[in-house]
Amino acid sequence: MEKSEVIIKLTGIFRTVFNNDTLVLSDELTANDVDKWDSLSHMILISEIEKGFSIQFKLKDLNKMRNVGDMINTILVKLSL
Amino acid sequence: MVFTSINFLIFFPLVVVLYYITPARYRWLTLLVASYFFYINIKPVFALLVAGVTVSTYFFARLIDNTSVESKKKRYMVINIILILLPLFFFKYFSVLNNSLVSILEENGLRWPLPEIQLILPIGISFYTFMAIGYTIDVYNEEIESEKNIGILALFVSFFPLILSGPIERAKNMLPQYHAQNPFNYELFVQGLKFILWGYFMKLVVADRVGIYINAVYENIPEHNGTSLLFASILYPFQVYADLGGYSLIAIGTANTLGMQVMQNFKRPFFATSMAELWRRWHISLITWLTDYVYTPLSFNFRRWKVWGIVTALIITFMLSGIWHGAALTFIIWGLMQGIFLSIEALTIKSKSGFEKKYNLTRKKWYIFAGCLLTFILFAASQIFGRAPNVSDALAVYSGIITSQGPLFIGQVSTFILSMASLALLMSKDFVDEYYPSRILLFGNEKKYVRVLSYSSVLILILLIGVFDGGQFIYFQF
Repeated sequence: MEKSEVIIKLTGIFRTVFNNDTLVLSDELTANDVDKWDSLSHMILISEIEKGFSIQFKLKDLNKMRNVGDMINTILVKLSL
Repeated sequence: MVFTSINFLIFFPLVVVLYYITPARYRWLTLLVASYFFYINIKPVFALLVAGVTVSTYFFARLIDNTSVESKKKRYMVINIILILLPLFFFKYFSVLNNSLVSILEENGLRWPLPEIQLILPIGISFYTFMAIGYTIDVYNEEIESEKNIGILALFVSFFPLILSGPIERAKNMLPQYHAQNPFNYELFVQGLKFILWGYFMKLVVADRVGIYINAVYENIPEHNGTSLLFASILYPFQVYADLGGYSLIAIGTANTLGMQVMQNFKRPFFATSMAELWRRWHISLITWLTDYVYTPLSFNFRRWKVWGIVTALIITFMLSGIWHGAALTFIIWGLMQGIFLSIEALTIKSKSGFEKKYNLTRKKWYIFAGCLLTFILFAASQIFGRAPNVSDALAVYSGIITSQGPLFIGQVSTFILSMASLALLMSKDFVDEYYPSRILLFGNEKKYVRVLSYSSVLILILLIGVFDGGQFIYFQF
């Protein structure tokens, strides 16, 4: 899967989880920039991403994600395995 | 040596002078020596525990870094966490476990040969143990590299402003600062002194004076009517805020004067409009530590259960937080209440935000006020379990509040008036900082005479109405 396809799919998941149809993803986007993206909703987001892309994260992967860019890269790595 | 002792008022300026006259590359060593001196001054033998935690953490973190085998890394991390938690468990829970076991056996007609054991908890043990655990997990997660200089790691674990009650700092914030050879930073130094001054005000003037009233009521629960029990229970969250918040400001300010930036521990908690927000403003260093090292791994493991996984992780995390506060049923109930409040919020957040959006409520002053009030009521109600010595006393407080109204106990009139006035001053400052930042500036005013007048007034208030023979900091017992 190409990065652009990942972004499109990921945007859909973000919009559903945070109930925000106008949310636009960028590499620099962090939890601080998105309303209601807190430690509670984060794990629901992670679970939906795993389901959407049919991948499995490790806890270590999560700890290393600093922004959406890191998240996209991790998804790409998981998809290529 | 504690912040409110005369010894500290001599020790602190001396350390500042020594620190800045030491060549920059050896400043960490000055701080390390000062930190151990500070801690040894409390009880020398307990410094051995600090050293033990440091040595174990140093070696296991190095081992984690030096192996590429994932299973070995995990094993080293787990062994170190267990090793450094052992003293904490021993000192905190051994007496309770031992005495409970003895009484259970005796009830069943069996005699236990050991006498009752009451151990003194080494002050600060939870705080430096938590910092060492955080460091170990961060190294395992490859968020930081293990520290090669054991002296720097020893300083991280024992740094005197933080060792007694936090803020529970992170290695990734502190280690680079101990290595850095920063020149003297005047702004940071002055900011530190302002924090210290306000911290002493919060502790000596507000917390200890309000504490006199609360102690008078809570130490004689059956003697007091519901009105007084209600009033003391309303005051208690303010006392804890002024006590731990004041302590934290002194700690942060002390670190600032030594050129170190330390995380904020409280952010005007009583202006939170939900319990989730309150826990983002209250004892921030503990809650972020729990979030990163307890809640996140738990909720990650439970993520298949969706929102119920989050609820389970939340309740377990806060129950653990309760057990950490004390091996008593009151603290477990306290933790459970926090977990339940937060879970209800998590389960209703979508419908709540939809409702708020529909009626455009989030900016309405009455709605914000109602949110703050409801949050405070829930928090104060749970804190009754944090303050009452046992469950039956806590239930007696609830029952008294509901059933027996009467005239309010005042106690000593001067103490009562001064408590209320100082609390009003603290909350007015928080109100201005929350809703009108930079509108009314006193400590930060651009006019020098306003600043000097403000510092002097607070200093005079501390000297005139501060409680100098007051109790210890509340969080020293944890």
